[in-house]
Amino acid sequence: MTIPFSLYAPRESGLHKLHPLTKLALAGFVALCALVLPRAASYLLFLLLIVPLALWGRVFGRLMSAALRVALPFAISLLIIQGLFWQTGPILARVGPISIKLDGILFAVSTIGRILAILSSFVLLSLTTRPDALMLALSQRGLPDVIAYIILTTLQIIPRFQSKAQTIIDAQRSRGLETEGGLLHRIRALLPLVVPLVLSSIVDIEERAIALEARAFSHPGTKTSLFDLSDSLPERIFRWSLLAIALIIVVVRILTLRSA
Amino acid sequence: MGESIRIEQVAFTYPTGIRALRGVSASISPGEAVAIVGENGAGKTTLARHLNGLLHPTSGHVLIGDWDTSKHTVAQLATRVSYSFQNPDDQIFERTVRAEVTFGPRNLGFSADEMESAVQDALSQVGLLSEIDHHPYDLQLSQRKLLTLAATLAMRTPIVILDEPTTGQDAPGVRRIAEIVEHLKAASHTLITITHDLDFAAEHFERVIVMAGGLIIADGPAHDVLAQESTLAAALVDPPQMVRLALALGFDSIPLTPEEFVLALKNKSGRSS
Amino acid sequence: MIDVQNLSFSYAGFPGMALRGITLAMPKGQLCSIVGPNGAGKSTLCYALSGFIPHFYRGVLKGTVRVSGLDVAESSLGELAGAVGIVVQNPFNQITGARFTVFEEVAFGLENLGVPRDEIISRVAESLALTGLDSMHDQSPFALSGGQQQRLAIAAMIAMRPAVLILDEPTSQLDPIGTREVFGVLRRLAADQHTTIVLVEHKLEWVAAYSDRVIAIVRGQIVADGTARDVLTSDLIEEIGVGSTRLTRAARLARAQKLVDSQAALPVTLVQTIDFFEQKDR
Repeated sequence: MTIPFSLYAPRESGLHKLHPLTKLALAGFVALCALVLPRAASYLLFLLLIVPLALWGRVFGRLMSAALRVALPFAISLLIIQGLFWQTGPILARVGPISIKLDGILFAVSTIGRILAILSSFVLLSLTTRPDALMLALSQRGLPDVIAYIILTTLQIIPRFQSKAQTIIDAQRSRGLETEGGLLHRIRALLPLVVPLVLSSIVDIEERAIALEARAFSHPGTKTSLFDLSDSLPERIFRWSLLAIALIIVVVRILTLRSA
Repeated sequence: MGESIRIEQVAFTYPTGIRALRGVSASISPGEAVAIVGENGAGKTTLARHLNGLLHPTSGHVLIGDWDTSKHTVAQLATRVSYSFQNPDDQIFERTVRAEVTFGPRNLGFSADEMESAVQDALSQVGLLSEIDHHPYDLQLSQRKLLTLAATLAMRTPIVILDEPTTGQDAPGVRRIAEIVEHLKAASHTLITITHDLDFAAEHFERVIVMAGGLIIADGPAHDVLAQESTLAAALVDPPQMVRLALALGFDSIPLTPEEFVLALKNKSGRSS
Repeated sequence: MIDVQNLSFSYAGFPGMALRGITLAMPKGQLCSIVGPNGAGKSTLCYALSGFIPHFYRGVLKGTVRVSGLDVAESSLGELAGAVGIVVQNPFNQITGARFTVFEEVAFGLENLGVPRDEIISRVAESLALTGLDSMHDQSPFALSGGQQQRLAIAAMIAMRPAVLILDEPTSQLDPIGTREVFGVLRRLAADQHTTIVLVEHKLEWVAAYSDRVIAIVRGQIVADGTARDVLTSDLIEEIGVGSTRLTRAARLARAQKLVDSQAALPVTLVQTIDFFEQKDR
C-alpha cells in the first residue's frame, strides 16, 4: 500500500502499535521541550528520547536519512552565516580577513539542535503512524469529520492534480499552443492551462461530493471503524503525565528566566 | 489534402517502466481512414500520442509527411495533425463556444476570414452553431465533447486523430459524428480513430489495426480484419454485430453493415433457391 | 421497491421542466434500463430516485418518490444512503480519496453506516469477490484502471446492500471487457440479492441482453415501457433519437425487402436475430 506524501513505514514494532495520540503527544512533548529548554538540552532529547524510540520502532535508518537530508544543508549554512556574521564575543579562528566568532557558532549549534529535535520528532511520528489512524483518533476525540476527510484526500489528490495538469498541457499543445519560448509567451500560455484545471476541478469536486453522500458520509448516528485503535489505561496515564511534565517544565523555565 | 504517416519500428517505454509499445510499424497513405482497436492498455492511445508528437519513441521513428516528430514541437506538428481528446473538460477554458473553437485556428496563424469560416463550418458540422455565444459549461457533457471535436475540425489539418469519438453520445450524436467522418474522408483528410465501438469502425473505416500487448497483431482492410474471429478474440475485442450474425448463420462473405448483410442474404438465398 | 407518482421537476434557474408527470413502479430484483436521447431527463430521474434531487440539486419538485419505503423528499441524503446507491459515469470521481487501499475504500461506506467491524470485513470481502476485485484489495484505488475503478465504485455501493441501485451510464468510459464485467455484476445482483436496478445506458445491445424492462424517456416524459424486445424494436424508438441495434436494423431491412416473413417479430439480441433469420429457412 502506498500513501502519497506520507513517510509512513509499516513495521512490526511496539512503537507502531501505540495509539496515535500517544505518539502525537510524544512528538509534541519533544518539540515543546526543545523550544523551551536551553541550548544543549535539545541534543540530549534527541539522543535520549528520539534515538531509542526510533530504534524501538525499527525506523532508525529512515529517520536519520530523512532528518539529515533536511537538517544538514540547513545546519551547514547556519553555521557559516552565524559564525561569520556574529558581531560580538571572542574569535574562534581567523582565516585571512575572515574571522569566525565563538558565540555565533554556539548559537548556530543550539539552533540546529532545536531544529533537529523538533524535525525528527515529527518525522518519527510520520514514520510510525498512519495518517488515517491519526485522523481517526482525532475524530474520535471531536475533530470534525470534514476536516479529517479534507486532510486525507489532499494527500491523494495532489498527485492526480499533477497528472491532470499534464493532460491539459498536452491537449492545449495539440491545439497549437507553444509552451516554450520567452516570458511573454509563457504568460500567455497560462490561461489555457490554468482555467481548465480550475473548472474541471470544480466539476470533480461536485461529483465527489455526490459520491461522498452516496457513501453515507452524512448518515446520522455513530460511525464505526475498520481500524481497531486500541487505547489502554497505561497509555492514557502516560499521555496525561507527559502533559503534566510539559507544564511543569514550562513553568519552571518561565520562573528561571524571570529570575535570571 | 492528407499527409502520409510512417511509423517505423516504434518502441516506447514510459518513465514508470511500462513498455507500452514493443516495436510497431505501419504506413498510412494520405486520405486513408484507419481505426485502431484493442482493449485498454494495448497501446492504442500511446501510439496515437506519437502521431502528433506528444510522445517521442524510445526507439524508432514517426514521420508525418517528411517531418520526423522528434525534431518538431507539438505546436509545430499541430499544423499537420490535430488530435481530439476524450475528455472535453481537460481543454475548455474560454468563455464562449466561439472563442473556444477559435483557439486552435488562431494558434495556427489563420487569417481573420479563415478563422471565421473555419469556426462557422466546424460548429455547424457538430450542430452547435446556435450555441456559438454560450458559455461552454452551459452545455451538457456530450455537447462539450462535440464542442472540442469542432475545435479540432476548425484547425483544418491534413491529419485528424479522433480518440473515442462516440463515447457517451446518443444515436443522433453518433450519426452526426458519422457524417463528420464521411465529410473528412470526402475531403481526403487522413483520418485515424481509436475506438471501442467496432460497429462504428466497421461502418466508416476502410482499414483496421488491431493492437494487443503493445504490438500490432492485425492490420488490413476492415472486411478482412474484422472477420478474423481469433485475432479479435486474442485482442479481447468483440467483433461487430453484423460479423457475429453472419458467422453464426454460416455466411461465406462477411458483411460489416446491415445493408451489406441484407445484400449478402439476398445473394445467399438467390443461390440456394 | 420504487414507487414514483406524478413526478415533475424543474431545476432552479432553468426554464422548462426536466421531468413531467413521471409515474412508475419497480419491484424487487428488476433490472430496468432507461434509454433516451441526451438531455431527455435520464440523469435527472436518477438523481430524483436517489435523493440528490431535491437535496443536492435545487429546484421545484412535484409529486412523490418512494424508494424502499422512504419518501425521498422527506428523508435526508444521509438517511437515504443506506437504501439507495448511485454510480455515475466518471469512475475516478467516485473514489472518495479518504482511504488508501481498495479494501478500505469499500469499507468506508459501511463505517459511515455504523456497521460493526466484523460485519464490515465480511461484507467487503463478499463485495470484492462479486466484482472480481479481491486480488486488488491491497492496492491504492488510484492505481486501478478506469474499468476497475468503476467496479470499485459498484463494489462500494453493493457492500452497503441498498435495496435499489441506480447507475447513470456506468460503462461509458469502459472497454468491452469492463462493460461485460459491469453488466455481469448487475445481473447477479438483481438475481441473487434481489436489488432493484435502474440503469441508464446508450449501449443498446447490452441493454437488450441484460434488461428485464426498458423505459424510454424523451423531453422529461416516459414514451415507452415494456420488455427490451418490444421497446427497442418499435418504430417509435428510431424517431425519438434512441436508434436501434444493428441486428434489429438488419432484420427490419430484410423484412422490408421481403426476404423474411413480414409477420415475424423483430429481434434485438444476437440469439433472437439468429432465430429470426433461421426461421425463414424452415
